Amino acid sequence: MKTAAIVPEEQHFILSTLSPGPVQKRLALAVVLCLLVVFALITAGPLAGVHPGRVEAFVPAYAAAMFTCDSITAILLYAQFSILRSRATLVIASGYLFTALILIPFVLVFPAVFVPGNLMGGTQSTSWIWCFWHAGFPMFVIGYALLKETDSSKQFWRGTVAAPIALSVALTGAVVSAAAILCIAGEALLPRVTDSSLHFGSLWPYFIGTPVALSAATALIVLWGRRRSMLDLWLMVVICLYLIEVPLSYYPNPNRFSLAWYTVRVIGFISSGLVLIVLLYEIRTLYSRLLGAVLAQRREREARLMTGDAVAATIAHEVKQPLTAMVTTADAGLRFLDRSMPNLDKAKEAFKRIVSDGHRAGEVVEGIRANFRNDVRARTALDVNELIREALALERGDLQKHRISVQAEPNQQLPEVQGNRVQLQQVLLNLIANAIDAMATKDEPRVLSVKSEAHEGGSVVVSVADTGTGIHSQDVDRIFNPLFTTKSYGMGMGLSICRAIIEAHDGRLWVAPNTPQGALFRFTLPANNSASASA
Amino acid sequence: MRKSVTDGPPGFIIAVVDDDQRILESLEILLESADYAVRPFASANALFQSGCLAEVDCLISDIGMPLMDGFELIRVVRAERPELPIILITGRSGMLDRLSPIGTDHYRLFKKPFKAQDLLTAVNEALRKPHRRASPL
Repeated sequence: MKTAAIVPEEQHFILSTLSPGPVQKRLALAVVLCLLVVFALITAGPLAGVHPGRVEAFVPAYAAAMFTCDSITAILLYAQFSILRSRATLVIASGYLFTALILIPFVLVFPAVFVPGNLMGGTQSTSWIWCFWHAGFPMFVIGYALLKETDSSKQFWRGTVAAPIALSVALTGAVVSAAAILCIAGEALLPRVTDSSLHFGSLWPYFIGTPVALSAATALIVLWGRRRSMLDLWLMVVICLYLIEVPLSYYPNPNRFSLAWYTVRVIGFISSGLVLIVLLYEIRTLYSRLLGAVLAQRREREARLMTGDAVAATIAHEVKQPLTAMVTTADAGLRFLDRSMPNLDKAKEAFKRIVSDGHRAGEVVEGIRANFRNDVRARTALDVNELIREALALERGDLQKHRISVQAEPNQQLPEVQGNRVQLQQVLLNLIANAIDAMATKDEPRVLSVKSEAHEGGSVVVSVADTGTGIHSQDVDRIFNPLFTTKSYGMGMGLSICRAIIEAHDGRLWVAPNTPQGALFRFTLPANNSASASA
Repeated sequence: MRKSVTDGPPGFIIAVVDDDQRILESLEILLESADYAVRPFASANALFQSGCLAEVDCLISDIGMPLMDGFELIRVVRAERPELPIILITGRSGMLDRLSPIGTDHYRLFKKPFKAQDLLTAVNEALRKPHRRASPL
């Protein structure tokens, strides 16, 4: 139950759910355009006349490289499934296993690789396996795209991971075996798409090209409407490459070992490596976020040790002393009453002392509060806009990392406030850090707006608004409570301390929903009247 | 009746050292309720300057005190009265770790807030022991 509850919230931070930035999108487009240019150069351009020779080692080398790439990709995706438990990830992992496994029959039936003529199957086998391969993978992509949109409660696998992975490997193996048997043993039954071991026949576009193109086009359309993550983006690029491969296999000349044929292999290899590169890139990102999270956790722990624990220890000690005295005196009073000749005077003295101890204990508690409230020594006249600038500068790294745009709207006629610089800085940093956390898990737009205003009543109002996940209505009353947190790490001391600090400055801190989405935190601070009067 | 076993026989003198006036007064009245004579001191130095260390039968001391803490106090007292029963009280559980090096055999330790009855029982037991023996530190 615990894992199931954690997974859907955590998934925003992990691997295949990272959303692509504009650079990523441009890069993906560039890859596709670049290959379209290659396509044009080869079919119609100056390269059309180039006729390379047959390189015997090419096919086994190509198959081995592809097999390695696709296997690693499949393993990484299975590993992701074991963490994320997303059925969609399982399907796309199976897809990569499929492309890896189908390379085995492909290289075995390829004419004249291991022996002159055909090691297995016949003239048609290679093309048909290629067809199953290239029409099959888009099917997995379609499955992936459809599954990732389904109801999230069903989407996540809750059982053990070994069973679904084993099942997926077995099923994929069975599908590949069935396709291989059909293409090898049933070769005679298949339409004749290849004229010779080198030349594709006139039926090739209809029986091989069309199913592959249709399958890939469907996958592209299905994925286009559901694209969210970096994985989606690069899968679309892969499918585009599949689409380019189809015509390039037949035009300008339908021969194996032509320039176009070699190019198709290279494109195939690129498409096989793309997702692997993306996964490795995502692992790097994840790793850096992990480091960031560990550091943030440590920072919060230290802050908590300095504030929460210190305050708690002080209060505990200050309360324990009078309590001990009261309990002890009460016991003494009871003992005086319990005597055979009760000593009423002594008992009365004891109870009077308890009463005065009780009052003094109350004063102690009030004193702690007052101490926190009026730490006058550390209070200076502050420019709130300056504080905001500093806080934004301190959080710049995190803001950039999460591609959050900042709208700062400082009021230039803002009066100064009297306050503790470190404490107020802490409040701003806390609110900004919360805003970043709330937006890190959301699609764009991610906008942090920090505004300062001067109110006529002689107060300064600072608002920190985000476009993040917002705050559930049932949580609005609780978020300022100590120990309340929606985060997977942290103690939830942040907002309660923020509120304590603001209230100690005779201000108020509250939260409202931001429109159209997100949360809007506002706090007021009384303007420094003496400073504004003298200015 | 009404004199429980924990009530000390009259005549025993208990010294109490605590920098917190409230605790000091409460211990004073508690020990009085058990018919002990009490000598309250707000600091270790006050105890030594009073010169009454020689006459007390038991010492109750706080651990966490400014200037001279409970541990330092024990060292000085032990030089003069190695056999004197000592009861320590503390408000901080962290203090307990520091006790192990000197051993708890010859000290009873109470964490605040403690049960008054337990403290009185400990005082009574300490006084009934043949405490004239030399107590190694």
